[in-house]
Amino acid sequence: MAILEIKDITSGYGEVQILWGSTMSLQEGKITSLVGANGAGKTTMLRTIMGLVKPKTGTITFEGKDVSQISAHVKAEMGLVLVPEGRQLFSDMSVEENLEMGAAPKRAKPRFDANIKRVFEIFPRLEERRRQKARTLSGGEQQMLAVARGIMSEPKVLMIDELSLGLAPVLVLDLFHTLQKLRGEGLTVLLVEQNVQMALAVSDYTYVLQHGKADLHGPSRDLVNDTHIRSAYLGM
Amino acid sequence: MCLSPSSQPSVEKIGSSLSKAVFRGGYMDILAFLTDGLLIGFVYGIAAMGLTLIWGVMNVINLSHGSIIALGMFALYFLFVSLGINPYIGVVLVAVLGLLLGMVIYAVAIHRVINAPHLSTLLATFAVNMIIIGLGTTAFSTSPRNVDFSLGSMSIGPVTILGTRAVAAIASVLITAALYYFLYRTTLGKYVRAVTDNRAAAELMGIPSARVLAFSFGLGTMLAAIAGGLIATFFPFTILSGTTYELKSFVIGVLGGVGNPLGALIGGLILGTFEGIIPYFLPTSWVPVLEFILFVVILLVRPTGLLGAKK
Ligand SMILES: Nc1ncnc2c1ncn2[C@@H]1O[C@H](COP(=O)(O)OP(=O)(O)OP(=O)(O)O)[C@@H](O)[C@H]1O
Ligand SMILES: [Mg+2]
Repeated sequence: MAILEIKDITSGYGEVQILWGSTMSLQEGKITSLVGANGAGKTTMLRTIMGLVKPKTGTITFEGKDVSQISAHVKAEMGLVLVPEGRQLFSDMSVEENLEMGAAPKRAKPRFDANIKRVFEIFPRLEERRRQKARTLSGGEQQMLAVARGIMSEPKVLMIDELSLGLAPVLVLDLFHTLQKLRGEGLTVLLVEQNVQMALAVSDYTYVLQHGKADLHGPSRDLVNDTHIRSAYLGM
Repeated sequence: MCLSPSSQPSVEKIGSSLSKAVFRGGYMDILAFLTDGLLIGFVYGIAAMGLTLIWGVMNVINLSHGSIIALGMFALYFLFVSLGINPYIGVVLVAVLGLLLGMVIYAVAIHRVINAPHLSTLLATFAVNMIIIGLGTTAFSTSPRNVDFSLGSMSIGPVTILGTRAVAAIASVLITAALYYFLYRTTLGKYVRAVTDNRAAAELMGIPSARVLAFSFGLGTMLAAIAGGLIATFFPFTILSGTTYELKSFVIGVLGGVGNPLGALIGGLILGTFEGIIPYFLPTSWVPVLEFILFVVILLVRPTGLLGAKK
């Protein structure tokens, strides 16, 4: 069943149009990845889904409800959560406070203790640094905190913009395994990745964004063998 | 505690080191001037906290700050004169009114221009200022009013402390502590800090940033109104009186830095002390001149504020 459907979305910044009628559909309990060249509009797509950029035309349907014109904080309340590009931490707040802010949605509050225990299990480093200000964390630790904060929101759909950026390969693998575990518990994931090979390897389904559309898509294991993908994105 | 002149060597030291200056009063008077200035400085600190809080959270320079201080004075006046309410209970009511008024001002005048360039928010708050002053002048005229209330005074050696000023100073310290408690220990306070830090991220976490901004603006105007209410317990005022305190708040803002209530309080104390000393050497009319020289010098030398390291 599709939990999130994006239909014919056009969007952009002022006069500049970036998305030209993109259509995507996320299956519940699956990991979907969105790949594309630098500047293709992947981040714009996520921002549009959240409502930080308002779509000009098209519809976004979440759990059967039209959420195209709803503001971001309401979507977060509903369980649509974005770990944004560039981390966007609360830099003057402590690690713990950042996690607390992640748990701002009403639906996340009762799960606070369980969720913080879980993120500290996934990222023991964060527990060691729970009183430290986010701005003083290393780049990798900041990325961990950004993902952890997203998990604290008790998402139904977790969208992550550039998961692997700045993280050691071992940790990236760990994180992917965590996401796969969360998927096993019913979480739906939308992954935006620079690392196309990795994205194809861990996701169930993949969309390729080019020329403002996501027309090229398919099960990830099929796309790995697609000649266009292999030459354009995997350098083979 | 009783300090007689002979048993207080530090006073004589201050006196002798200043002995070349032209004194306008006796040696001992300087302590009295200092104490007066210092006590009022606490209240200046509260006023400045309101201004810098709004600037820190939403990058808006609130040019209606002064007129809201004046409204706080009038609100306290009418609560006292017309309803016979004790001024310190009055201040609590003034605080609530200030909070509500600020949220209304935000919703009506600020929210629509919050993402626009600074000029728009400056003009919006300036318009609010003109509206308040216009209406206030019509309703209250510009003849001075006075809250006829006294808590007596207390003498410590050469220094006489007015009860109302002492209470205002204590109230200011308590308010500062309460503000810290709010910002660091309560969920709503943490939301205010989160929105200050990164509004888009706060929105993504499910924090209703527009409502938090409205509340923060209300908090800033609440502090302004409280400061007005406290000042009204010891100075006469008109609807135009707020301007002076608004300007002082700006000076304190650069002294104490932005986004740090303690900085504002300390900045207030510095400015109050400064004001207390100046009349000792020069006519009182020099006070604003020297204050603004101080303002410009700090901006030139340390634009981030003397105490605050933050932007
Ligand atoms: N705020 C903005 N105003 C104007 N143009 C923007 C803005 N943000 C992004 N763009 C432009 O939109 C286009 C798409 O940007 P976007 O960030 O969505 O790309 P992306 O696919 O995420 O790229 P990357 O892989 O490098 O992160 C780019 O050409 C970018 O310059
Ligand atoms: Mg991007």
